[in-house]
Formats: sequence, structure tokens, C-alpha cells
Amino acid sequence: MSLFQSSLREISLNLHSKPGARLVTLLMVALAFIVFNTFLIISWNLQGLMNREENTVGMEVFLQRDLSQAQGRVIGDNISSIPDVQSVYFVSPEEAEALFRAELPERSDLLDVMGSDFRLPASLQIVFEDEAMTQRRLSELARQIEALAGVDEAVYGEDYLPGLLKTVTTIRRLVILLGIVLVSSISMVVFYTVRLSVVRRSLTVDIMKTVGAPGWFVRIPFVVEGIFMGVAGSAGGLLLAAILSKVLSGAVAHRFMPVSWMTMVILLGAVTGTVGALAGSYEKER
Amino acid sequence: MNLLVTMNSVRLSYGRWPALDNVEMEIRQGEFLVISGPSGAGKTTLLRLIWMGERPDSGFVEVSGFRSDRIRKRELPQLRRKIGIVFQDFRLLDSRTVFDNVALPLQVTGTGNRTVQKRVISLLARMGLSHRRNAFPHELSGGEQQRVAIARAMVAHPVILLADEPTGNLDPEVSREVVDLLLEINRGGTTVVMATHDPRQVPAGKGRFLFLDRGVLRRADRWTELDEES
Repeated sequence: MSLFQSSLREISLNLHSKPGARLVTLLMVALAFIVFNTFLIISWNLQGLMNREENTVGMEVFLQRDLSQAQGRVIGDNISSIPDVQSVYFVSPEEAEALFRAELPERSDLLDVMGSDFRLPASLQIVFEDEAMTQRRLSELARQIEALAGVDEAVYGEDYLPGLLKTVTTIRRLVILLGIVLVSSISMVVFYTVRLSVVRRSLTVDIMKTVGAPGWFVRIPFVVEGIFMGVAGSAGGLLLAAILSKVLSGAVAHRFMPVSWMTMVILLGAVTGTVGALAGSYEKER
Repeated sequence: MNLLVTMNSVRLSYGRWPALDNVEMEIRQGEFLVISGPSGAGKTTLLRLIWMGERPDSGFVEVSGFRSDRIRKRELPQLRRKIGIVFQDFRLLDSRTVFDNVALPLQVTGTGNRTVQKRVISLLARMGLSHRRNAFPHELSGGEQQRVAIARAMVAHPVILLADEPTGNLDPEVSREVVDLLLEINRGGTTVVMATHDPRQVPAGKGRFLFLDRGVLRRADRWTELDEES
């Protein structure tokens, strides 16, 4: 029997002995990962929402009321030459009124109250290239367009995009913080479980040492036990979070996290388990 | 005879309790050494120093070229493969069969399956345990358990066998059998160091006797002198 085969045998013997404490640890790891996964899912969905908003947002440029249609079109041509601008569409006051009546029929009486002399301002609807769809670039473009002569106001999603961005950033920071807390606490749980395992198998460990087993050979069953608990616990946490997500999908529209994030969760479980197990199986020689 | 173990001005204490005090000792290859003394005299500690389960507070122990003050942690397994250890309470692994208990020292060093089979089966036959190879430790008598423990200690062909009160849990008749087995092993060329509180178990003239009294080592040629000392 090679040393590798022998170590596999020891790993198997260790994993099969007294599973009670290990089950409790698995449950604790899985529960901790459900909390973590919940934040990941929230973060993922908010990020998605942010991306969608950024990608669909256009800009509406209101022109000063005293401008002629020809002047408005010239401004439109100037805006077309700005980098990142994909298209510019001129909306005349008549078209703006027709659009208002079509989109907001219940408010169309407002236009009637204003009288026949009232005209909605002409505007330019601008669509940008995908690369420009960031909060910072849109803000720069708005400032640049508003500085043009004849432009009254440039409007885009500036009212809600910064708030959404702030929420996404906060959630992302919370996920990182939670990740750090999770790694430390799960490592401690695995540490104590492996420590218990070492104490429970102290005779085997002592005998292995006295017969000349290499240090890694003595520790490997415990390290594998830790990795197993980390991976199985995180996978269990993912499964439970997926079930929870499915149950809640009717009430709250959302998407489950992508495969790359799930892989990251499992890897985090493996790292956490390894750290806890390495620390738990370490014994200082006198 | 070659020098196998040297203890040079060895001192070791547990807190304020001195376990060994200025111990000077040499063990030569092929010797049968009996270390006796009352409980708590430091016999087990002395044996632990030899397999380097403990390190002295001062002085050094040298075993087969490995010095306690210079040995690295990763070298300890190499040293321990040269040493066989037998304990008073046998320390057999309950969940493993007799065969697996005896095979353990070979398996942890990656010895091939065929060699393991050959050596374990032949050793169990020598120990009269062939028929018990698939039994578990709790199914064996005390004498059988100690013979399994001796087989485990001998299977990797150690240069020195340390036996810590090997007859402590056995009745007089079985104790005699175990001592005879240790003498036979010694006749085969293996150095044997036996710690016991009752040196009478070893016939006079069959070994060298040392007496430990509260951590201080004294010499004697035979157990009758030890009797006078104690």
C-alpha cells in the first residue's frame, strides 16, 4: 500500500467515525452561508437593476422656447458630433404635445387649461453608445450639453441613478464585511470541530507519531475533514438558499446568483474549512 | 558494541517538579537494559526522552545519530522509525484488527502491500497470534494484546525496543511470557530497554540494571542490589 493509499484509508476512517459533531457543524456552516447567500442574491439583483437602468437610460434635452425649429435642428447636429452620442431625434412642440396626450391621457386636460397659445418646449431625445452608460459619463455629457447655447435643461436618470448606485455600493460593502465575518466565524466552528476530532482520535494520533508517521500524514485526515465540512456546508447553504429563492420568487421578482458566484461560494467554503482545519490540527511539539 | 543512546547531563522538570536530574547514561547496541524504580521516579519520562516525545530542559539525548538539541521537527519520524515502543496499557487501536494494528508502522511509511502482508503474517506466527489476525483488540486477552503491541513495535525492524511497564497490566504467568518474548527479541540482536517497577521479572545476569529514584539515576549489576538500594 502506497503512502497515498494509506492516507486515503486514514481519511476514510476519520470521516466515517462519529458523524454527530460533524453534522452539527455542517448545519451551522450551511445556515451561515444562507445568510451570506441572501446578501449575495440581493447584491446580484441590485447590480443587475443598476446595469439595466444605465443601459436603457437616454437623455432628454429641452430647448429654450424662443428657438425656431431650424435652430433646434442645428443644436441637434452639434450634439450629434459629441463623442459617445449615437443618435439625436428632434421632437417639435406639436409632436411633444401629441406624445403627452398619448402617454398621459388622464393628464391631457392640463394642456387644455393652459390655453391654445401654450406650447410644450421643443426637445432633443438623445441615445448614447453603450460605453457612455455610466453615471459619471452621463453627468459629464449632461453638463457639456447644457452649456450649449439654446439649451434649457438636459434630463436623464440623475434623480434615482445616484441613489441606486449608493445602495448597490453599500450592499456590496456589506457583502464583503459579511464575508470576512463569515470566514472568521466558520473557521472557528471548523477549528473546534477538528480539535474535538483530534482529541477523540488522540490515541490514533499518538500512535501514528510514535511509529514514525510523517507530520502531514497525521494531519491530512483532519484537513480533509475541514475541507469537507466547508464545501458540504457551503453547498448545503446554496441549496437551501436556492429553495428559499424559488419559494419567494412569486412574492419578490428576482434572479438567483450566476454559476460563477456559486463557484465562488463553494471555494470560500473550502478555504474557510481548510484554514479552520489547519489551525485545529496543529499541535505544538514540546 | 556500538553506542546507541547517550544521555548527557539531562535535566527535565514539569513546572517546579524535577522529573529527571542530571542523568548520564549510555546504552549500547544489543543490550538488555532494565530501568526500575517506584511510580513517579521518572522511568516513563526517561523513555519519552529516548523517542523524543520530550526534550530535556538542559543537556542532550543522542539516539542513533539524532541529537535532541539539534533534531528538526520533520526529522522526528525518521528517528521514531528506528524505535519500537510498547506501553503498559497496550495502546492498540480498537477499530482496527490485529493485522491492521501490527501493519500500521509499515503503512505510514508507504511500504508495499506484499511486504506488509509477508512481514505481518510472519511476525504474528512468531508471536503465536496467527489465528487472531482478524480479531479486534477487545476480543483478545491481556497477554495477547501485549503480544500484538510488541509485534507492532517490532514489525518495522527497529534498532531499539522501548518497553514501558510492559507487564504492568498482566498476571505473573503472562508477565513471564512477555519478559521471555522481550529476551528472545534481544537475543535476535535488538536492543531492549524495559522500564519496570519490579525488576525481579528479569532473571539475574540477563541484563544491565539501573535504578531511578526521584529523577536521579543509580547503577546496579543485578536486581538484588536494587532491592538494597530501595
